Amino acid sequence: MAFQILLNFFLAFIWMFLKTSYTPVTFLVGYFFGLLVIFTFRRFFHTRFYGYKIVAVIRLFLIFNRELFLSNLAVLKVILKPKLDIKPGIFALPTELKEDWEITILANLITLTPGTLVIDISPDNSILYVHAMDIDDIQEAIDGIKNSFEKAIMEVSR
Amino acid sequence: MKTNDIILQTVTKITLFVIILFSIYLFFTGHYHPGGGFIGGLMASGAIVLLLLAYDIEMVKAILPVDYRKMIGIGLLFSAGTGAGALLAGKPFLTHAYTYANLPILGKTSLHTAVLFDTGVFLVVIGVTMTIIQTIGESD
Repeated sequence: MAFQILLNFFLAFIWMFLKTSYTPVTFLVGYFFGLLVIFTFRRFFHTRFYGYKIVAVIRLFLIFNRELFLSNLAVLKVILKPKLDIKPGIFALPTELKEDWEITILANLITLTPGTLVIDISPDNSILYVHAMDIDDIQEAIDGIKNSFEKAIMEVSR
Repeated sequence: MKTNDIILQTVTKITLFVIILFSIYLFFTGHYHPGGGFIGGLMASGAIVLLLLAYDIEMVKAILPVDYRKMIGIGLLFSAGTGAGALLAGKPFLTHAYTYANLPILGKTSLHTAVLFDTGVFLVVIGVTMTIIQTIGESD
């Protein structure tokens, strides 16, 4: 991944020297052609073409924004409701993520979306203890987080 | 005896991209400076030949799963199509159209249908060169 980006920058600079025009536009054009060449030879590298990873990061950002908006609405509904009939609870969320930064991002995403809050992480980094404000079905909540956040993070780190 | 090609392979990994980029530069500079579709295509196929020298034929086929014979056909379609496009506009065959456009990032750019014709030449040259070399290389 890092090698491909570095190579792309290198090619963009070579393009600038070939054109003898040292403007940002020439750099962009060279970067574009370099991207095209690297994409054509993407099977040449051991790692995936780095464009896929950038798309995955953007998708993760969009998923986070959508979840933030939807769960804020849910919390607003609970606050404005005259009857207090929520069922708070703590549940264990088993995770397949391995790297430290993956677990940190997952925990932060769960915390930043209102309604759920990461309390603790088990010593072997395999279980996240999550507090939910209103929980009807534990399995549903686990699946919801697994399918949206965990999948998107795996897409980035794969 | 099987020799270790690690130096050749490592150098190829970097120079391949520089050569391909230079061939793209030659292709686009053809209207105002020396260059064009023929030499650009030859340079691009030269890069693929370097890949063939450093690795074996199966490896290169896995990296670039391209049918070079189809590439010749597509290139010919490009060139013939550019010529036939002039007929649709009521002009003689192979009359080229050009215009200057103000593109969002690139600024003032000249657009010329001769580039499409050159793209056809580019593809045909790569296709023919690679077909010749691969056919000779595969026969025992």
